[in-house]
Amino acid sequence: MSAPYFIEMLARNGDVLHRHQVDQLPIRLGRGYDNDFILDDAFAAPNHAVVEAGENDTLVLRDLGTKNGVICKGKRYTSLPINGDTVIRLGHTMLRVRGADHQVKPELIDRTSHAWEGAVPGLVGMLLIGVFALFTMWLNDTQSFQLVRYLQALSYGIGAGLVWGGAWAFANRLFGRNARLGRHLFIFGCGLTAVTVWKLASSTIGYAFSLESFTRYGSHALITIVAGMVFYHMTTVKPHHTRRFATTCLILGLLASGLTLISNEQRSGRMADNLYMSVIMPPAMRISPDHSTDEFMVKVGDMKAKLDVERTRKVKDEGEDDE
Amino acid sequence: MKLVQIAVLWTCLGASAVSLAGQPAAAQAPSPAAGKAPASAPVTPVPVTAPPPAPAAEVEENAPLPPPSSAAQKLYSAAKDDLLQIRMLLKNGRSQSSVGSGFMVGTTNLVLTNYHVVSQMAIDPDVYVGEFVDTNGKSGPVELLAVDVLHDLAVVRVKRTGTGFFDIPEKLVKLTQGQYLYSLGNPLDLGFAISEGSYNGIISRSFYDQLMFTGPINSGMSGGPSVTSDGGVAGVNVSKRRDGELVSFLVPIRYAQELLKKVALQTTAPKDFNPLIGQQLLVHQKAMIDRLLDAPLSLKSMGPYMVPVRESEQVRCWGRSNVKAEATFTADTMACAMESAIFVSDSQQTGHLSMTHQYVRSASLDAVRFAALASTLFKADNLGTTKDTRLTGPMCTEQFVRTKTLPLRAVTCVRAYRKFAGLYSFTLLTASTDDAKASLQSRLDVVGVSYENGVRTTRAFLEALGRGSKK
Repeated sequence: MSAPYFIEMLARNGDVLHRHQVDQLPIRLGRGYDNDFILDDAFAAPNHAVVEAGENDTLVLRDLGTKNGVICKGKRYTSLPINGDTVIRLGHTMLRVRGADHQVKPELIDRTSHAWEGAVPGLVGMLLIGVFALFTMWLNDTQSFQLVRYLQALSYGIGAGLVWGGAWAFANRLFGRNARLGRHLFIFGCGLTAVTVWKLASSTIGYAFSLESFTRYGSHALITIVAGMVFYHMTTVKPHHTRRFATTCLILGLLASGLTLISNEQRSGRMADNLYMSVIMPPAMRISPDHSTDEFMVKVGDMKAKLDVERTRKVKDEGEDDE
Repeated sequence: MKLVQIAVLWTCLGASAVSLAGQPAAAQAPSPAAGKAPASAPVTPVPVTAPPPAPAAEVEENAPLPPPSSAAQKLYSAAKDDLLQIRMLLKNGRSQSSVGSGFMVGTTNLVLTNYHVVSQMAIDPDVYVGEFVDTNGKSGPVELLAVDVLHDLAVVRVKRTGTGFFDIPEKLVKLTQGQYLYSLGNPLDLGFAISEGSYNGIISRSFYDQLMFTGPINSGMSGGPSVTSDGGVAGVNVSKRRDGELVSFLVPIRYAQELLKKVALQTTAPKDFNPLIGQQLLVHQKAMIDRLLDAPLSLKSMGPYMVPVRESEQVRCWGRSNVKAEATFTADTMACAMESAIFVSDSQQTGHLSMTHQYVRSASLDAVRFAALASTLFKADNLGTTKDTRLTGPMCTEQFVRTKTLPLRAVTCVRAYRKFAGLYSFTLLTASTDDAKASLQSRLDVVGVSYENGVRTTRAFLEALGRGSKK
């Protein structure tokens, strides 16, 4: 390692909190003012450790007889050869020493589109949220038209969007550098759009082809959409941890799906979200054929055997099916 | 809707601390498709609570008894030795959980009472025991010998004999309308009482004949006798209409005669009454469905649709409409339901049937929004859960079905009774799929029937749904 040297104070996640340049060896570390690098740490000794040149152009960190010692990877050392990646702990302070010749990783390719920031995506996001709120209101409105209810729906939607986006923007400011509120609003708007599109599409497909599983297990698609949304929020906060966030969201999604299945099983005895498809659409939307009443009654008759099996399954007092 | 309070109330005192009665009726008794039509809960077991404190409320609730005539005085003093209170006690702790009345038959050691008074003992003999208390305050155990769930009668044996006052002769007491009857029992666990009223004929609203008694019968008097002025037993107190004044019902004594004959023939008392009750319920459902389907269901028109209904003494229909200016759609509902059900336990009634049709159309809603509305209406949440100890969770099957004239989306959900083998509850939900701006949604609930009869009823109902000629 060659001079000048850099002492880096690290956060637990590896982020550099503070960096200090030292021109020559030895480097004295400690709480006292006679050191080259002063540790503001009550658990560090006034003269805690020193970094000296070792053999073959390496550095050695030596404990100066402290109570708390020098810790590396959980072990205490009186003397320890270090390189640019050795993280040592003095008291509560994590440190790393790097020389000017330390090799850094190549630059990451920047895939962030920097033009899509700020007001433009924010407004588009708000627009999507607003459209979602109004559409939902319109679809379920069976009373005669009253403007105030639509305005209410719109304000609730926008309000919810701002709260959600704001929370993420806060996290972004905390853990990243910028708030990126516009981006987060845009992600939320896209998520809501995806939810709407899925709802409409699944109902239509379910009804048209008599594929009840589309509505029966629809909640898992919604969970996927939400997990995806959270993933995009997270990568907006920290753009270079894609894989870690993807795994996190996948696990969260699977957990949520599993919980849904279990609670459905507890509630109705079936894994499905609902007992039957309650979607009714205009006749023009239907492709699957009609069946005769005979066919239907045969299907009804077929349930008897299963019910008789279920009947004899014991029920623990007042409830919980034993599984 | 006032009509709805057709709840006939069982005068069974009791059900006190036990699971809230009335609840089951809601669970069992089908409520119409949209959940908006009259929630006719046909028979509600009396949610009579007679918790010792709160006497004020009880007194309030109790219409003051008419002053006893000299006939009543004489009757009571002659009858009091044969009059009993029947209590259901928790085996653990021997605290009482429900109370009713009963009377000694002739000079035997048999006591006649209502099934619903002793239902806990019949269904859960491990949890409940029975006890009698006579007018002198003496008590002793009771042994259940026979039950007749359909007519709500039971015979128990006690360790004492009757004086012969309540003789049940082969030849029935002849009753004429307006004749005085005296009803005996222990209302609300307050003490033995006699009340005076008049006989008003046989009514057939409930599936089995009952006598209408215009006089007060209160909770706790269930199972007590109603006698003529010369002491002939006319019937057994059973229920009253909560929405009426002094409209009470008696079980005709001839059913009791039949039950007593059966008791005379049996050598030992059955250990487990559940299979017996199951058999009786099977008999009932057969009679019910046979009577329902003995002729094709009558068709009524709702807009362009023809819907099947059955209107008879037992099944009453009510209609209503949402004439609401703010709504963008019109919904007409027709709901038919049997006004009685068979009481099995405080939390379970069965042998019941209801059908509901809802015709919804809109001129102002577009097809998309109408579809959303129809979907919301087609969603029924009250099909039951798997946490029910009496029935399994619902199992459903669904399909697009075409009857002769109408394409439908049909869903059938079936639940099985856990305690009574061979009994099921069927629910059929249908929604017409022939019109983008109108929807006929129907619901049929058949509670406590055999699988075969459930399928038969469902089929008859489904096939009768159709579209009239006019568009």
